Amino acid sequence: MSSWYKQRGKEDDIVVSTRIRIARNLVGIPFPGRMNDLQRDEVNRQVRDAVAKGSNSFAEQLQYIDMESVPEAEAYAMVERHMISPAFAERKAHRALLLSRDESISIMLGEEDHIRIQVIRPGLALDEAYEVADQVDRLLCQHLKIAFDPKIGFLTECPTNLGTGLRASVMLHLPVLEESGEVAALTESVGKIGLTVRGMYGEGSRSAASLYQLSNQITLGISEHNAIENLKTITMQLVERERAARTALPKIQLEDAVWRAYGLLANQRILSSEEMMKHLSWIKLGVSMGILNLDPTLPISLLIEGQPAMLQKTYGIMTPADRDINRAGMIRERLR
Amino acid sequence: MLCENCGKHPATTHIHTMVNGVSTEKNLCGYCAALLGYHKFGPSSISNLLSSMFGEIAETGTPPETKRCSVCGASFSDIVETGKVGCSACYETFYEQLLPSLKRLHGSIHHVGKTPEPTDLIVHKPDKLAELQQKLKELIEKENFEEAAVVRDQIKAFEEEGKEHE
Repeated sequence: MSSWYKQRGKEDDIVVSTRIRIARNLVGIPFPGRMNDLQRDEVNRQVRDAVAKGSNSFAEQLQYIDMESVPEAEAYAMVERHMISPAFAERKAHRALLLSRDESISIMLGEEDHIRIQVIRPGLALDEAYEVADQVDRLLCQHLKIAFDPKIGFLTECPTNLGTGLRASVMLHLPVLEESGEVAALTESVGKIGLTVRGMYGEGSRSAASLYQLSNQITLGISEHNAIENLKTITMQLVERERAARTALPKIQLEDAVWRAYGLLANQRILSSEEMMKHLSWIKLGVSMGILNLDPTLPISLLIEGQPAMLQKTYGIMTPADRDINRAGMIRERLR
Repeated sequence: MLCENCGKHPATTHIHTMVNGVSTEKNLCGYCAALLGYHKFGPSSISNLLSSMFGEIAETGTPPETKRCSVCGASFSDIVETGKVGCSACYETFYEQLLPSLKRLHGSIHHVGKTPEPTDLIVHKPDKLAELQQKLKELIEKENFEEAAVVRDQIKAFEEEGKEHE
C-alpha cells in the first residue's frame, strides 16, 4: 500500500488527511526532558521488546528504526510526509522509530513523551485511524508498565496532553473560507469548545496553501470518543460551509483563477516552495470543482514531493537555487 | 552535570550569552537560573505559557526547593521553568501544586475515558516503593529500628504484590 497522500479518502475535496496521536510514558523512567542516554536506550529496548512479544497483527507490520542510522535528508523527508515531528528529526541520537510498511503507523520513541503513537489516513477517517491507534496502544500496554493515574489519566511530560494523551486532527483545505475571513473568526469560536485551528504551512494567520489543522486541545475530562465526535461534527460543518461558499463563487472568475494557476505551474522554470503551494491550492480547488480533469490526489502529492527534503531525496543535495529549478521541472513533468 | 553556580543540583538550564563578541556558556539548575535572572527565557511559546501559569502559583506557594521528586529529582521550580513535568511520579509529588494549572488548562481535573487493562494497571508502584525505601533509609539513619522493621515488611509485601501483577 502506498503513502497516505497518494490515496483517496472520504470528503477529500476538503479533508486532506486525518491524524491520531496518542502519548504514553513508562513508569519509573524520567520523561524525555530529564532522561540520559542510557534511559533513552532503555525506553527503546522496552518498547521494541513489547512489540516483538505482541500478539496482534500490527506487531508484524512494525519495523524498528534506529534514528541515528537515518540520513538527515531522509529524516526531514519523513517530517515532510508528516510521519515524525521536526523536533524528532532534529535530535536523532538515542531515538528510535517504529514504522509500518505503508508508513501509516509511526511510533516515535523518546520524543516529548516516551511513546508517541501516530496513525495517519487520507481524507476524513477519525474512527478508523483511532481504531488502529487504539490497537497499537493495547499491544504496547500488554507488556509495558504505562504511567497512569486513575484520577488524572495517562501521565505525560507536558500537562497539555494529560488524561487521554490523545490528539486527533484533520488537515483541511479551506481556500474560500480563508478568503472570506471566516477561518480567522473560526479560531476564536472553536476555542470555546476545546478545539484549535492553525495554519499548516508558514507563520501568521494565513497558510501558504490554505491548509489548516483542526484538532482537539482538551485531553482531561473528555473521553476519546467524545473528543473525536466533537472534532468530527465541527469538521463536517466546515466541510459543508466551504462547499457552499465554493459553489457561490462566480464560475468564470473561478475558472480563470484555476487555469491561470495551471498555466503558470505547467510552464514555469524556477519555482519557490511558497509559490508552488499557493498555485497548487488553486489546482486542488479546480480538481474538486470539476474544472481540471486530474488525479484528485495529485495536488497534495506534488505539494509534499516538492518540499525541500523530499526533492533532495530524488535529486541529491543541492543549493536552494537549484532546488527551485528541480522543483519547477518535477511539477511541469507531473502536470503534463 | 551539576549546576555551575551551587554545585548541588542537576544542571537543567543551558545559557549561552554573547556580550561584545565574547561568548560564554553556563549550565545552571532551575533554582540558580531563576536566582540569576534567567527565568524569563523559555524554549518555546507553549513552555512560556505554562511557565507563566505555574509561575503564578509558585510565587504564592511554598519555596520551590523544599521538595524534590524522589524518582527524577525535579523540583517544582524546574517544572515551572521548563513547562514540563519531570516524570510520572512528579504528578503525585507535586499534585496539589499542579492542580490549579491543570484545571485552567483543561477545565477539569478528572480523567474520563480509556484506562489500561486491569493487569497492566500499575499505578505509581515504583514511585511508592521509592518513597518507602527513602523512609526506611531515614529511619535507619535515626536508628529507629522498630519502625524501620515495619517499613521493611511493607516494602517486601509491595514487591511481592508487584510480581504477582507481572
